[in-house]
Amino acid sequence: MEYSTQLCSALNELKRITGIKLEVTANDPQEEERALAQIRCLCTAYKEKYNKNHFLKTLMTGNISSIEAAEHAGRLHIDPEERRILFLLEKKGSLDDMVMEILKNLFPSQTKSYLIPMSDCSLAILRPVKANESEHDLSQIAHMIVDTLNMEALTQVRVAYSAVMEHLTELGTAWQETSLALKVGKLFYSEQNVFPHDRLGIGRLVYRLPIPICEGFLKEVFGDNIPDTLDEETSATINRFLQNNLNIAETSRQLHMHRNTLIYRLDQVEKRTGLDLRKFEDAMTFRIASLVMNYLQTERNT
Amino acid sequence: MASLSLKGIQKIYPNGFHAVQDFNLEIEDKEFIIFVGPSGCGKSTTLRMVAGLEDISGGTFTIDGKVMNDVEPKDRDIAMVFQNYALYPHMTVYDNMAFGLKLRKVPKDEIDKKVREAARILDLDKLLDRKPKALSGGQRQRVAMGRAIVRNPKVFLMDEPLSNLDAKLRVQMRIEISKIHESLGATIIYVTHDQTEAMTLGTRIVVMKDGIVQQVDTPQNLYNTPCNLFVAGFIGSPQMNFLDAVVNIAGNDVTLKVGDYVLKVPESKKQALIKGNYNGKTVVLGIRPEDVHDSEEFIAANPDSVVKSTVKVYELLGAEVYLYFDVAGTQMTARVSSRTPLRTGDQAVFALEMERIHLFDKETELTITN
Repeated sequence: MEYSTQLCSALNELKRITGIKLEVTANDPQEEERALAQIRCLCTAYKEKYNKNHFLKTLMTGNISSIEAAEHAGRLHIDPEERRILFLLEKKGSLDDMVMEILKNLFPSQTKSYLIPMSDCSLAILRPVKANESEHDLSQIAHMIVDTLNMEALTQVRVAYSAVMEHLTELGTAWQETSLALKVGKLFYSEQNVFPHDRLGIGRLVYRLPIPICEGFLKEVFGDNIPDTLDEETSATINRFLQNNLNIAETSRQLHMHRNTLIYRLDQVEKRTGLDLRKFEDAMTFRIASLVMNYLQTERNT
Repeated sequence: MASLSLKGIQKIYPNGFHAVQDFNLEIEDKEFIIFVGPSGCGKSTTLRMVAGLEDISGGTFTIDGKVMNDVEPKDRDIAMVFQNYALYPHMTVYDNMAFGLKLRKVPKDEIDKKVREAARILDLDKLLDRKPKALSGGQRQRVAMGRAIVRNPKVFLMDEPLSNLDAKLRVQMRIEISKIHESLGATIIYVTHDQTEAMTLGTRIVVMKDGIVQQVDTPQNLYNTPCNLFVAGFIGSPQMNFLDAVVNIAGNDVTLKVGDYVLKVPESKKQALIKGNYNGKTVVLGIRPEDVHDSEEFIAANPDSVVKSTVKVYELLGAEVYLYFDVAGTQMTARVSSRTPLRTGDQAVFALEMERIHLFDKETELTITN
């Protein structure tokens, strides 16, 4: 029978993916249309089944038993016991062809690295770890990804990375680690671009707190007068004072203000919040409270 | 090429971290500007704001009079070379340099022309067919530079591009970068924490600390007339010696008491201390290691600036020697000729060249006189 061009290419595609050669008998155009739709569905289903990226994405985000995962990995020629690391990259704006091309060339498929798009603006890079690569080397790779995309694609990206995985079944955990690192990093360490999964400090602690506990803590610190926003000048003064380890002379010098002006401003903060930032205990409470406020504000906005 | 203007630039991150504060700078066409300072001082953040990779929280940034605050990085006509560059491992040098242009759909013959021209400037003509594996560290660095040069941008931004190279290669590449600047006639902003790199490369240097510009000047002026204690200590290697000194003004005689030593302040430095009403106050005396002398003639000619100490460490560097010793409980360094007879453990007499001293206010850390 003479097939239409579309049906012909769909059949060829199916043969390419599965090795199965089908023949279609259709008596009228409607039947042929139905056959075409079914063949396309078959292609999609096989593609998903035999697509490495699809499998790795399912392994990261879905629920696959370790037996099933090992079996599937074997079928796709992915060595489950190779040591690997997961980098999670997030771009400001959606991932474009230029970014993908650069990454494909930085991590060519011959090196058994996989680039797995996770969303419109994020992408996971699963890369084998060589025996002689240290933690420092892996951190350098994360920085290299950021710097290369900055230089070549002139685009802003952030990268989080996981611990080294000994087995492919650890990919789900690695994905959770890197996702958390990216979220916590963006929220609490926004001045950085690279977030190792195990360097999240107090940010991780605050991020894990349930919202009611955060709200309760703020109420305990500030009473009913939770300072939603401090004015820019006061915020800048406080941040500089904390950055300078509560050193009045150094802070006033850096802010080009008389030390008495700084002391006056700190007194005003004490009046408003009840916290004397010159005391370590109060400064620490204020710092944690501001992290909590920052977290709550982001949660509310999202 | 281009002139840049940064007026009142600020960077405050969403977490409240104030990275850059009131940054003001006018950069002229073809200038080689260096941002230098310790890590975390805001130099890279400022560069990234110029690149458009960080949002500007306050102030105005212009290139050739056009406000760039909200312009996308790709539309700023800039090219960058950063510290953690990577070459595409399976591509030749030619393809590595051409790749960015191919992605931007530049016509093939134009790409070829630009790559060959950049290769000529960087002396890479004979290596165009090689893969990165077959290149030395310096050659790889030149390829990374080549990728920026082929774009023919208005401004080059370089963020510690040499810090992954070893000391010898760094010196070589410094010379290469100087040559590139001359041959391209480009406006370059270069970030480094290495003051030697800053001094040798820049036409002007911006010294930063804690997000604040401390001084903007030529390398020579920064060295000779630092505006505060930080700049004086940061610029120069070995760094300037600092000693606490109590000022004594008796009529027209001004002296500095450092421990048990009384040093006579020369005519040229007196007025600043008298006018500033420093009598009885403690100031910081700064003196560069090369202005501390051990020669008998100098000591004999300057009996009012003599200190005595035991040499703790003798460091021979070939043509010169660094001698380390303590004065009034503070470690000092003298940079003297390798012909010096002094060795570790020797009792030594040194004379300070008082015309070359710097005095700083102990509280504000600002320069009283240079």
